[in-house]
Amino acid sequence: MAVAKQKKGLFSFDLETGLAIALLILMLVAPLILTDFRLNLMGRFLALAIVALGIDLIWGYTGLLSLGHGVFFTLGGYALGMHLKLIQIPPDAAVKLPEFMGLYGVTELPWFWQPFFSLPFTFIAIMAIPAIAGGILGYLVFRNRIRGVYFSILTQAATIVFFNFFNGQQKLINGTNGLTNFGEFLGAQVTQAGPQRVAYGVTVVLLIVAYGLCRLLVAGRFGRLLIAIRDDEARLRFTGYDPTGFKVLVFAVSAALAGVAGALFTIQSGIVSPKSMDIAFSIEMVIWVAVGGRGTLLGAIIGALLVNYAKSLLSEQLPEVWLFFQGALFLGVVMALPAGLVGTLKTEGMMLLRRLRGQGPIPLMTYPKIAQDPDIVAEREALEREDEA
Amino acid sequence: MIPASASSVADSSGAIAPSEKILEIDQVTVSFDGFLALNNLNFSLAPGELRVIIGPNGAGKTTFLDTITGKVQPTQGTVRFKGRNLRGLPEHKISRMGIGRKFQTPRVYLNLTVRENLELSCFPHKGVFSSLFSPRTPAERRTVPALLETVGLTSRAELPAALLSHGEKQRLEIGMLVAQSPDLLLVDEPAAGLTDEETYALGELLQSLADSHALVVIEHDMEFVRQIARQVTVLHQGSVLFEGSMDDVQSDPRVIEVYLGNAPSITEEQMRVLRVVAAVAWCDGSLAPAEEAIALERLSGLFATDSLQKDELKGELRDYLMTHVSLESAIAALGDRDLREQVLALSYEVVRASDPRDRDASINEREAYTYGQLIELLGLPPEVVQRIEGEVDARLMK
Repeated sequence: MAVAKQKKGLFSFDLETGLAIALLILMLVAPLILTDFRLNLMGRFLALAIVALGIDLIWGYTGLLSLGHGVFFTLGGYALGMHLKLIQIPPDAAVKLPEFMGLYGVTELPWFWQPFFSLPFTFIAIMAIPAIAGGILGYLVFRNRIRGVYFSILTQAATIVFFNFFNGQQKLINGTNGLTNFGEFLGAQVTQAGPQRVAYGVTVVLLIVAYGLCRLLVAGRFGRLLIAIRDDEARLRFTGYDPTGFKVLVFAVSAALAGVAGALFTIQSGIVSPKSMDIAFSIEMVIWVAVGGRGTLLGAIIGALLVNYAKSLLSEQLPEVWLFFQGALFLGVVMALPAGLVGTLKTEGMMLLRRLRGQGPIPLMTYPKIAQDPDIVAEREALEREDEA
Repeated sequence: MIPASASSVADSSGAIAPSEKILEIDQVTVSFDGFLALNNLNFSLAPGELRVIIGPNGAGKTTFLDTITGKVQPTQGTVRFKGRNLRGLPEHKISRMGIGRKFQTPRVYLNLTVRENLELSCFPHKGVFSSLFSPRTPAERRTVPALLETVGLTSRAELPAALLSHGEKQRLEIGMLVAQSPDLLLVDEPAAGLTDEETYALGELLQSLADSHALVVIEHDMEFVRQIARQVTVLHQGSVLFEGSMDDVQSDPRVIEVYLGNAPSITEEQMRVLRVVAAVAWCDGSLAPAEEAIALERLSGLFATDSLQKDELKGELRDYLMTHVSLESAIAALGDRDLREQVLALSYEVVRASDPRDRDASINEREAYTYGQLIELLGLPPEVVQRIEGEVDARLMK
């Protein structure tokens, strides 16, 4: 049993590392072979993969289906967008305001814009604002033991509230149009190819950091507690744990990841607007994770990349087909591969590999009790002796 | 093998004086929109006591556990654990005070391995941040293998709990409970869905746990209750109907009424006679049809005044006859000498029931032994015994 177990452990380790290494190579080689436009696209998808990691953390591991991560994504995007709008004001300007405010007759910079002059504050805010928003929402919801589908509906309702609020605030944040036409950032024009390559590099690094953080979280006791919350929250409560704190923390972490992703996406797409708080976008995030495989982390990244590539390819060729395709993809995955691509590979991969190598099926592992039962051991030894004789 | 219950919880909240009750429930009423699930319930439990709670469906057994563990707040009355009022405390705080609960259906974390299940329950620091990065504690490393051994799951330690059989899950959940090192264990119908063998092993496990924990077990399976019970509390319509030993419980007319739907029409004294006869008839492990027929015929003839009533009585008596009782306690409850002589005559006849013509053939070893025990316990003079046996033989020969 121990030997068999080890082999299996080694294999799943191999599969995951193998996939991770393949992804890493892909990300490193991409700048050498892709055009600037394609590289920028890939950078955006990698940013989206960071949100997918956050979704996997709360949905795949903890079992909380959030349909409102678009909010946190957008909050992160706005945090960076506001900084970019502020630093492009010419130093000799008479009124120190982002250009759109003038159109609406604003004369004084709103108070909450002030701290975004500072770059360190902006970096912290990109993570902290979504995390705090998620933490507060999470605390209110989880403390009142709102779970399952009610939680999902609530997050969706929150998304609509934020969407409408951001849409209506022309004077404060340029309403529906969002923040765009960014200028310089850290001494370079953000829209140019060179800085975009840097942005791609930063995205890759942050994706690796985010992946490492998530791995660290789920590897130890904390990760097992998240799974325990998903499996049986009431049982956990009667064991002496208060699930509220765990859920709030993991929701806040996941919101912070969404914020980082939003900021990275904003700088690479050159715009942040309330459109990313559209409910459809939040649902798309869930689809990426479902396609890649829940509770695998790597699956979330792969799902986000695959689905978004499919989306961009299809929308370029046949723009009207994409939504049908996405629906069909989701249905197909749910029915044929409920564990997602990586999840299925993990369970079926070994058999597939052996079949490809022509090694035949995996030897059956019996239930340990039966294999270790002294009577059965004796019987088996007797049979073996007979065979030899 | 069982980790001592002297937990950090107990230490921090002060030792319990031996005379003090670990659990006191005082006049508790739980009302769900006017329906009284518990009605003025009083209950108390001493440290280290094993108490079985029985009662028909809807008696409030599970609500009783819900109230102790904080899942349901009492509408009126107080629940005290180690002298502390539990009102308003959430489940996890009550659990940390030293109350562990096992649910009716096994509830374990299916996607974690058996070992991980136990580790989570055993880990003493249950806050968010202490769970984040603190390494495995030495206590964990020592306790978990011992627990695996206790619940007999050592060979399954690395399997996901989802792959365990029903009985193994039940045992794992009990192991998780013990891992919390509580002072009070609440166990809801542990024997449900288990084979006889598993049930017996579970009974042994619970009894060994009772050495170091206070235990409340809710159960329906009377065989199982008999195996483990020292004191039994009968709940009915949300209040305590009766408290006492298993034998007392089974002969109490109110309990019988609650379980069988109508009050016994025979007196308590007659019930005691019936108990002894039942004990003798059951002594070889089975109730032969001939034994049953004789017992019913004679008993109903003895208790009834007319033939119509006799027929009605037979049906009722059959139900009572179906339960096991211990001979000693049944005889100890018998009163005067007339009754003892009646019992002897009946028992002798039942023992000889299968083949009345042959005096020795049907009396197997077990029956003979029990019969000898009966004579000894009844304490009748030998000449009386001989006379009664002679009378019965004479009647059977006719």
